[in-house]
Amino acid sequence: MNFDAAWLMDLLSDAPGIDEVADALTACGFLVELREEGDGGEIWDIEVTTNRPDAMNHRGLAREAAVASGAKVRPLEFNIEENDESVADFASVEIADPTMCSRFCARVIRGVAPAESPEWMQRRLTNAGVRPISAIVDVTNYVLLELGQPLHAYDLAKVGGAKLVARQAEAGEILVTLDGETRKLEAGMPVIADAYDVVGLAGIMGGADSEIGDDTVDVLLEAANFDALTVRRAARKLGMHTEASHRFERGADPDLPPLAIDYAAALIAEFTGGMVCEDRIDVRPRPYEAHQLQTTSAKVTGFMGLDVAMDRLVGIASGLELDPVVDGDTLTVTVPSFRVDLEREADLIEEFVRHIGFEAVPSVLPVLSTPPGQRNPNWELVDRARDAAVAGGLAEVMNWSFIDPSADNELESYVLCPGPSIELDNPLASTQAIMRRSLLPGLLAAVRDNLNQGERRIAIFEQGRVFWRSDDGPAESERLAFALVGAAPVSDGMVEFADLKGIAEGLIRRLGLHEVQWRRGGSPWLDEGQGADLQTDDGRVIGCAGLVADSMAKKWDIKASVFVAELDLTPAAESIPLQQFEELPRFPAVTADMTIEHSTSLDYAELTETVRGLAGGLVETIDLMGRYAGKGLPSGSVRTTIRMTYRAGDRSLTQTEVNEQQEALRRGLSDRLGVSFA
Amino acid sequence: MGLERLEEVRSAFLADLDAAAGDGEAVEQVRIRYAGRKSGVLLELTAALRELPNEAKRDYGRALNELKKLVEKGLKEARSQATADSDSKTVNRVDVTLPGRALPRGAEHPVHLVRRRIEEIFLRMGYDVESGPEIEDDWHNFEALNIPPDHPARDDQDTFYLPGGNVLRTHTSPVQARVMESRKPPIRIVVPGRVYRRDSDLRHSPMFHQIEGLVVDEGITVGNLKATLETFLHALFSDDVEVRLRPSYFPFTEPSAEVDISCIFCNMKGCGVCSGSGWIEILGAGMVDPRVFEAVGIDPERCTGFAFGLGLDRVAMLQYGIPDLRQLFAGDQRLTRQFE
Repeated sequence: MNFDAAWLMDLLSDAPGIDEVADALTACGFLVELREEGDGGEIWDIEVTTNRPDAMNHRGLAREAAVASGAKVRPLEFNIEENDESVADFASVEIADPTMCSRFCARVIRGVAPAESPEWMQRRLTNAGVRPISAIVDVTNYVLLELGQPLHAYDLAKVGGAKLVARQAEAGEILVTLDGETRKLEAGMPVIADAYDVVGLAGIMGGADSEIGDDTVDVLLEAANFDALTVRRAARKLGMHTEASHRFERGADPDLPPLAIDYAAALIAEFTGGMVCEDRIDVRPRPYEAHQLQTTSAKVTGFMGLDVAMDRLVGIASGLELDPVVDGDTLTVTVPSFRVDLEREADLIEEFVRHIGFEAVPSVLPVLSTPPGQRNPNWELVDRARDAAVAGGLAEVMNWSFIDPSADNELESYVLCPGPSIELDNPLASTQAIMRRSLLPGLLAAVRDNLNQGERRIAIFEQGRVFWRSDDGPAESERLAFALVGAAPVSDGMVEFADLKGIAEGLIRRLGLHEVQWRRGGSPWLDEGQGADLQTDDGRVIGCAGLVADSMAKKWDIKASVFVAELDLTPAAESIPLQQFEELPRFPAVTADMTIEHSTSLDYAELTETVRGLAGGLVETIDLMGRYAGKGLPSGSVRTTIRMTYRAGDRSLTQTEVNEQQEALRRGLSDRLGVSFA
Repeated sequence: MGLERLEEVRSAFLADLDAAAGDGEAVEQVRIRYAGRKSGVLLELTAALRELPNEAKRDYGRALNELKKLVEKGLKEARSQATADSDSKTVNRVDVTLPGRALPRGAEHPVHLVRRRIEEIFLRMGYDVESGPEIEDDWHNFEALNIPPDHPARDDQDTFYLPGGNVLRTHTSPVQARVMESRKPPIRIVVPGRVYRRDSDLRHSPMFHQIEGLVVDEGITVGNLKATLETFLHALFSDDVEVRLRPSYFPFTEPSAEVDISCIFCNMKGCGVCSGSGWIEILGAGMVDPRVFEAVGIDPERCTGFAFGLGLDRVAMLQYGIPDLRQLFAGDQRLTRQFE
């Protein structure tokens, strides 16, 4: 909010220099964000927090500056000269709905002539960010900026029945506001009406029909207090935000209207040659009742961790016009009407902390009897997965948690689709309207974008949550997905299924998911021949991996071959059991290779399981040495070379023994699987 | 004749060998001079043994043996050195400046790097690291934190709404409320996590990350808050940064403070990052509002506490010099791979 620094300084007496005042404001909670040259002085952009409507004007802010810098606020002085015509003969006010309006003051100034406000006032208005218009409008704005009371001036001749009524709008009522917009009102919105029609949105903006103009002779001035919530709801519904609504929404001073209207009337009379009618209309169905708050210096001291003397508290409370009374260690204050934020003892203590300042408080670390810090299992889990992905050579990316509805549709057929999707009520863009149910759509978009950036080799992963609608409401769980494109990470060729699987296996190991089986997968997301589902023992699919199907790649405008995998992290072990040492073997191992020719319909998994079954306990490991298909082999056949490592726990195996094993193995495999040997 | 002579020979040999270093032919000449089968100096010295009185033979013999070993060893080394030098042109000389054969290297997103650094600092101070749901109910995201419906603070936090009155959490603070509901003080936690606000420009993204801290116990003071923030910020940035607390307003703390650090780029001289002010706003903090305690069933007369929160993305941008927040969420591996 912009303040005219010279105006602010003019309101202070015994003030230090302008720099000291700026620093003092920042120190007590009113950050001077920007100081720039204005007309005849500086303009200060000051952040006034929403709980302090009383400081959203020069005099209110001056009160804080005075306490913070040891200055005093000059009293407001003006003379109002009334003629002997009674205001009651010219206008009347009615509050039809006391919940929306607790006080309504009005005055009439007769015989005004068109005029401009004086140059000093125009300067102050301009510096504070308000455009000067005419003497009467400028005065209402000026009083708002000095005291914080929104005012409205009507052309009395245009107020039907010379009567103002504060009431709720009826559905369908229409008002053209000062900005020229036609507003269709909803029932319950706070309005000011004359004897016939709505003439203004109470606390938000006046109507165009009763606007002050050059032909205005008599002015009806309004200064009222409107309920914060009522104004706020109406302003939000109408999408309006004005100087007036800004203050009413946050809570205006209910006792300010009489002073503000007198001040404004006096200034208008002075600038326009008009005469102020005798008396002020003041309808007040709910008078403000001041309440008291109490605290003790011991409590303030204990709370701050700083010895604070009662004198100091009294000094601050006096400066803030809280009327402090001391009884022993107890301090009682009376909350003035302008401090709507002071409701509880905690609010009072805050005042002392603000003005004593954080800088004065000694820093002392808390001593707590809590056990050593622990990370929540969820963080342990996702970071374990993240570490494994990084160890697999993948670079982490972050994509939006919300995705395009068309991408989301594709997930209906996806093997890891967790359930029905959740739609945002108010997305920022239609392409970000659905909470993601899989990391794949975002990941594919990232692959596409990286390809478009000219990246030829892509190895990325994302770790994050997916969301869906469960029977018990919204649900979310952690996933990890990764994608490989281009050159293979370890071999010289292009990336293949085996590269994807190698990284996935590393992840699975780190997650403690030892029993995962790889099965040919049927998800339309993956290529028919190169897709796998990852299943746990109980048949639950916890992941999938493979080459992205052409049809899907096309949807994301990707021409390259993309290998992806996604894992549900939910079934991962909460903690990995401590590795137990196994006695190192005491006898040497003997290795022996075997090349088996078999049908492609025989899985490697089945082959090796059969080998293990046949060879008994002597086979320690089976490693794949190579696989060949093509020239010299019938179609549908492959040649697989495996290396067996034989070892006995109690003796050195002889070559003869191993040869016999191999021979028995060949016979067994031939019998069981009908394979032959090269 | 005697030990003195042995010493003379020893010195002369070492000097000759030194002079011949690197030259195979010269080394051979030295060998012939000292260890030659026909007229080597060592032969002469061995012969001299016989001439010595019996009582001197023992010492002389021992010293002679030492010398022989020295000569043998010295010649061997010199020969292999000379050979190595002369063969060097035919050796397979590797260009050690060629690039190494790279193992696949991965990298964590800078936001997570920052998160884990900050978690580590607080774990060392005895804090638990907590997590909570990203889809929150209105109660935990707003009401329990003293933000009733129609509160102006709800405007500042442009919220994404979901069916059933749920929201995408606008801050990590709802986890505070969840922890306080389920656990008795003393409480000492930090909560990192993803949060959402309906906002998008250079400095705002509809999705970003925060870390939140909460300490609750009897007798927690403003001084405790200040010391904790100073300790943390010194650990995160450097011991030299100045920390400034400015009174501010948040619905869930009272008093509240905006916390600035002295600008780490210009040392408070004023620069673009700190908009010339010398200070960088880094986090929000305050003493837990008694209304929050009441909402979660903690007696505000018995306990006090403090809370603080900061943007992880913002710290990552500051520390790594990333200018546009949205770059963090563009999925570009070139950004992450800078942090391999």
